[in-house]
Amino acid sequence: MSELASSPTSTAGIDVVQTSAAWAPLAAVLLLATASAAASLDGGLAARAEGRSLRSGMSAPWAETARLFRQRRRTTLAADVLLWRVGGASLLVLALLKVAVVPFGRWTLGDLSVGVVWFNAMDVAVWAAVWLAGWGPNSASSLVGGYRFLALALAYELPLMFALTAPAVGAGSLRVGDVVAAQHDLWFVVWMPVAFGVFCAGVVGFSVWGPLSSPLGPDLGGGVLAELSGIDRWLVLAGRWALLTAGSAFGVTLFWGGGAGPALPPELWLLLKTGLLLAALVLVQRRLPTLRPPRVVRAAWLVVLPLVLLQLLVVSVVVVGRG
Amino acid sequence: MDLRQRLATVAVHRTSALVVEVPGWARTRWAVEREVRRRGWRLAVSPADADLLVTCGRPGPRLADALDLVWAQLPGPRARLDVPTSTAVADALNEAAAQLRDDERQRRDAADRPVEPAMGTPAEDDSTAEDDGDAQEDDDHGDMDMGGDHGDMDMDMEPGGIPLASGGGGDRDGLDLDVLHVPLGPVLPCWPPGLLLHCTLHGDVVAEARFEVLGAAAGSPPPRRTYRTPADRLDRAAQLLTLAGWDDAATQAARLRDDLLDAADPAFCVPVLDRLTRRVRRSRSLRWSLRGLGDGPGGDVWDRLLELLEEARAGLAGQQPAGSPTPVDVVPDLVAGLEFSAVRLVVASLDLDPTAQHHPHAVST
Repeated sequence: MSELASSPTSTAGIDVVQTSAAWAPLAAVLLLATASAAASLDGGLAARAEGRSLRSGMSAPWAETARLFRQRRRTTLAADVLLWRVGGASLLVLALLKVAVVPFGRWTLGDLSVGVVWFNAMDVAVWAAVWLAGWGPNSASSLVGGYRFLALALAYELPLMFALTAPAVGAGSLRVGDVVAAQHDLWFVVWMPVAFGVFCAGVVGFSVWGPLSSPLGPDLGGGVLAELSGIDRWLVLAGRWALLTAGSAFGVTLFWGGGAGPALPPELWLLLKTGLLLAALVLVQRRLPTLRPPRVVRAAWLVVLPLVLLQLLVVSVVVVGRG
Repeated sequence: MDLRQRLATVAVHRTSALVVEVPGWARTRWAVEREVRRRGWRLAVSPADADLLVTCGRPGPRLADALDLVWAQLPGPRARLDVPTSTAVADALNEAAAQLRDDERQRRDAADRPVEPAMGTPAEDDSTAEDDGDAQEDDDHGDMDMGGDHGDMDMDMEPGGIPLASGGGGDRDGLDLDVLHVPLGPVLPCWPPGLLLHCTLHGDVVAEARFEVLGAAAGSPPPRRTYRTPADRLDRAAQLLTLAGWDDAATQAARLRDDLLDAADPAFCVPVLDRLTRRVRRSRSLRWSLRGLGDGPGGDVWDRLLELLEEARAGLAGQQPAGSPTPVDVVPDLVAGLEFSAVRLVVASLDLDPTAQHHPHAVST
């Protein structure tokens, strides 16, 4: 295991090369472009549900952006402005830090030996970001939203950690490049379906998305979003889309073989697969109602956690059996 | 400047409207919501989220005061509309869009407003008619949310002039700084019109509640009653589904409601309604989330949602609606001990009709 972990990533025939940090802006643009495509898809589907054309809704995210860029920022009485703004703005930053360890074809911004742990650390940091955004405005509904997120985080985070462990055990390495390489013969999603499912639920969780979006629920007047306007609101909304995108990119990297695929260059494959998973997550939001946090916590601890541990056991036994 | 004007033009395509119904003007609200949807605009969930405040009907003095407070919380660019009848809604919204697009006008408006939020009056009051402080909604400034008891005010101890949240009798977890007084309504989407619920919160659990109904202006012509029409049933189902976070199904219900507004052919509406009912009935996650909530003689929230859809179906089939609304005074007892989201779902599922309330200052604890 230790010998594997220290070896360079070359089993798949592709060496992952760490690029200079100067490429980070390009990664950010790519992340935002993918996220905005997903937002357009969501807008289009929403428009169709409302009886308008798919096309008319595709531009909704852009109109919303224009609206929020034009809107005044807002403060509330005795708000903790610093922490409020820090919390709201960090979602976007955390999403970018997450994609930093995703190999884009041959290149990656950070070829960390503990890339998987890095991703996990970033999604734990989302706890602080969302909670601070809820705490900041000194408003009961925002604060309740922030605490709802913590309750949901207690439900999804532990299963997510074990779901992340499965591919790492399968590859015998915490380096993301090694995990991709280890899927040369067989994508991990094939023999780790439970881990993949739980990972997707985790992505939905840290993006405050769909069934796990009660911290932003309409019953709280938007919860964490309740007092936000203008650019501050845009940062949170965009951060959410970026997190969903980053989660999808990491998901296809860990479970769908990353950039592996015939004919097309690996960069394109990664984008295609990411887009596919992202579209599926967008559909989840349209199909499912929001689940109330108490029920989610129960199900997560009583059903999901044992299941994902079982998955991990199976993976471990297979790895040991292979020698 | 050209760029700014262009930004404004694009922004207005996604205008977000906070639509407020004065008790009795449901039909007008539906007309406004339909027009909002037709334009690709959207409905706001809080004042911070809104560009446009639409008042449907003629509010009484206290509701009007509440609306003024909400108006002050719109971030701006902002516009305000009073729509007294369901005719000429489209023209009114055109006018609002023109106001929002008018950059000069919005700049003047912004320049006239104070930068810092104003300190409001405490949420909990002694409910005298001229005290407008309680007329607040749940998601307003922190100044309201933190408004504490009059009893233990101590100006030296109050950060930013806000009375500290205070411990009260029987706080369930014994934390002394845990009790907040938060009003729900009267300006709150998916909430019975005019209902104002003074809640005492322990964390996110409502410990006790007291209600009032803020009504329409005296002498305003009584609008046609909509209670228990198929459109009314669908409106309630749509609100419930919105609160449950299922936008797609909620939109489906609201669209059907709007079709009925034009007296659409039942032969067209019935299959659509049946599809919606099947979809709701089949949703295992919705059922799992709503089951067991607000259990009472009429079943739980899930049962009442299905009942709403069935009553709409019966109404479309030509059956005369029967039954009377749930009296508003059962609300405080029903919501005590429930968590915030449960309170919203339970209240939306109850068949409340504040227009039938004749004692606007009825107090119960």
